[in-house]
Amino acid sequence: MKSKTTLIFNVFLVIVFVFAFTLPASAGKTYKLGMSLAITGPTSDAGNPYAKGAEDWFKFVNETDYLGDGDKIDCPIRDDQYKNDVTKRFFEEFLDDGILIFLSYATGGNLALKRDFEEVQIPVIPASYHEGLIVDANYTFMPVATYSENAVGLAEYVMENHKGGDTPQVAFFIHPSAFGRGPLEDTQKAIAEGLNIEIVEVVEHGTDLDNTAMLQRLVSKDVQYVICHTVQTPVATMLTDAQRLGVTAGSFGEKGKLTFLGAHYTGGSDLIALAGTATEGYLWADSYNLTSENNEGAKKQLELAARYGRDDKAANSHNYGAGILAAQIATEAIKMAKETGLKVTRENLYIMLQKMNFNSFVAAGPVTYSDTERIGVDVQNIYVAQDGVFKKIQSFESKYIQKVRAGR
Amino acid sequence: MSQNRWLATGNFFTSYKQEQRTFFTHLDRTIFTCFLVILFGWPLLFEISNKYMLVLDNILIAIVAVMGLNLLLGFAGLISIGHAAFVGIGAYTVASVCQVIGENHVIVTHFWPVLIVLAGLMGAAFGAFVGLPALRLKHLYLAIATLSFQMIFEWFIQFMSFFNQGQTIYVGRAHWLTGQVGRSDHYLFWYYIILTIVVILGFGVRNLLKTKYGRCLVAVRDNDRAADAMGMNPGLTKVYAFALAGFFAGVAGALHAYLYRGVGFDSFTLHHSVAYLAMAIVGGLGTLNGIFWGPVAIKYLDLQVEQFSELAGHYLTYAPNVATALKPLSFGLVIVLFLMYEPRGIANWWRIVKSYTKLWPFRY
Repeated sequence: MKSKTTLIFNVFLVIVFVFAFTLPASAGKTYKLGMSLAITGPTSDAGNPYAKGAEDWFKFVNETDYLGDGDKIDCPIRDDQYKNDVTKRFFEEFLDDGILIFLSYATGGNLALKRDFEEVQIPVIPASYHEGLIVDANYTFMPVATYSENAVGLAEYVMENHKGGDTPQVAFFIHPSAFGRGPLEDTQKAIAEGLNIEIVEVVEHGTDLDNTAMLQRLVSKDVQYVICHTVQTPVATMLTDAQRLGVTAGSFGEKGKLTFLGAHYTGGSDLIALAGTATEGYLWADSYNLTSENNEGAKKQLELAARYGRDDKAANSHNYGAGILAAQIATEAIKMAKETGLKVTRENLYIMLQKMNFNSFVAAGPVTYSDTERIGVDVQNIYVAQDGVFKKIQSFESKYIQKVRAGR
Repeated sequence: MSQNRWLATGNFFTSYKQEQRTFFTHLDRTIFTCFLVILFGWPLLFEISNKYMLVLDNILIAIVAVMGLNLLLGFAGLISIGHAAFVGIGAYTVASVCQVIGENHVIVTHFWPVLIVLAGLMGAAFGAFVGLPALRLKHLYLAIATLSFQMIFEWFIQFMSFFNQGQTIYVGRAHWLTGQVGRSDHYLFWYYIILTIVVILGFGVRNLLKTKYGRCLVAVRDNDRAADAMGMNPGLTKVYAFALAGFFAGVAGALHAYLYRGVGFDSFTLHHSVAYLAMAIVGGLGTLNGIFWGPVAIKYLDLQVEQFSELAGHYLTYAPNVATALKPLSFGLVIVLFLMYEPRGIANWWRIVKSYTKLWPFRY
């Protein structure tokens, strides 16, 4: 009898023990997301901190029970090395795993998968801000203003701040691909809509390490402004050459000299690290809040980076912030669905994304989407490189890009 | 001939016709048939994820492309460093049709076999054109000529707005007897189509090599002057070898376009040409089964190295460039070691295994 009681007691203890350890673990749900980007290979200088930003935010969400009820986000981050074929393979793998939102990366990869996104009806948050990704697409939610908005916005800034009665003479320095050409085409459309600048020359850069001839030619053509849309390395080479030749403008729009301006991927702390003092005076349009601004948002970004032991380079990179924002958008969509009492499914997350309106500490403005709007942060900041950091000059929203879109 | 057609032992050819048989023994035929049954039947028995089906489809497409390259390099002895451009010609043939008549036009969606053949013919036409320098050039000089074609192709695609400046041109979903092939069946459907094409083209190559045209290729490779003296036309043979390689590449390109439902420039770069070359060499130049081994080995290696590099990327967070370099480094190292220790390719291992099993239990 005694042994029977002991046995029952032991079984009871075992059940209590098992439940004690298993219940908390099974209390929360796990939501699967998937991210594919270039951690190594071409453009990994941007992709690497971007991945760290997203990874840290999801860790933060899980550790602090941000979603509530012990719910967690599981987001495997895969390195596609900037290859569309590999991105496609990862996407299929993620679909097999039943992901709810796909966090994607490059322009090429997103364009290649655009039809799949629509077919599978999966919300996508890309790291590329190519305007073409949201044309005839419902499921791609652009986190911030597009490259075209950056370029047209910079052209507007030139038009508004150019001194003298003449038309500003502008050259475009672009990446030799559709990624580089898209914003140029939209700027040309904006000119047709009345934007008062003249594009004197378009330079599609190669892998040249010397831009002397090109810069001298631009000066000889009375070009005053060079709008860049490419990645940081060729811009750094050009700025260094301009400094060496003494053709960099000392002040905005200085006659006989060149004032350099650029879109999202051309600037940031990495550009300063590459070009050093040659970056001084460079104007940069971006929708992210920079750590050099030393505001509340910047502090939060640095705190998050410090919490997960990131180095200064990653912590201060706007691409780290971009990764955080993409992860935040996905997180907020899940949170909204939960708060509304909806089941967390792709369909419901798609609905939630269209109703989204929240402030992120890494963005220049609120993230808002609607039934027709697919760009989260419309506000752009114009920064100028001064004393080794980018400082904010002003915030703005491009007016002409709306006209370009309306005419599309 | 021996009465026992199941074993090679004791069988001697008494006529040219016997020598030209596709299968020398019943055993060969039975094994091959079983192999085909397995290849066609396993997807009906096991469920496999889309990811792995995509990998398999890719391997099969690479086999089609490498068949052409092996004809050119292995059998005709003509080097080409622009094979991916020929594959691209096939893919962009389909893409061009989509650009002109629309991606969902009935010709694109219903008459895809016609488009695949058309893509092959376009590849052949470009192949013949690019092969013209082969009339005058040999060896490294010919390699440079084909490299030029690769460069011209890349430049052309990237700068022409008709080709969307290299960005993806979409291709509609194919239709089959049961209607449109849906997303869930897409990769399986193309697995069967590509596998069927591989089998047809494989037999085509096998039979070609038994004809005078096939023998011409080998004769020109071994000594074009001697071939000329024997009454063959080495120039024409070389151009025709390029056309054949272009045809296979074009078909592979069209299959790639339909499989990915889009054509983008970055699937047909110099890097891909080098990869095709590596597949042909690792598989075994001038061998039939090497055509199959090469793509399987290289694609598998590529996947393994990719995982290794990805893993390194996660751990070497402070040095992403080192992780980036690991992939080409380890890939290149494996290829070099392979060429050093087995220059005859995996086909030679297959030959050794076959001769061992034929003689077993005797050693010789």
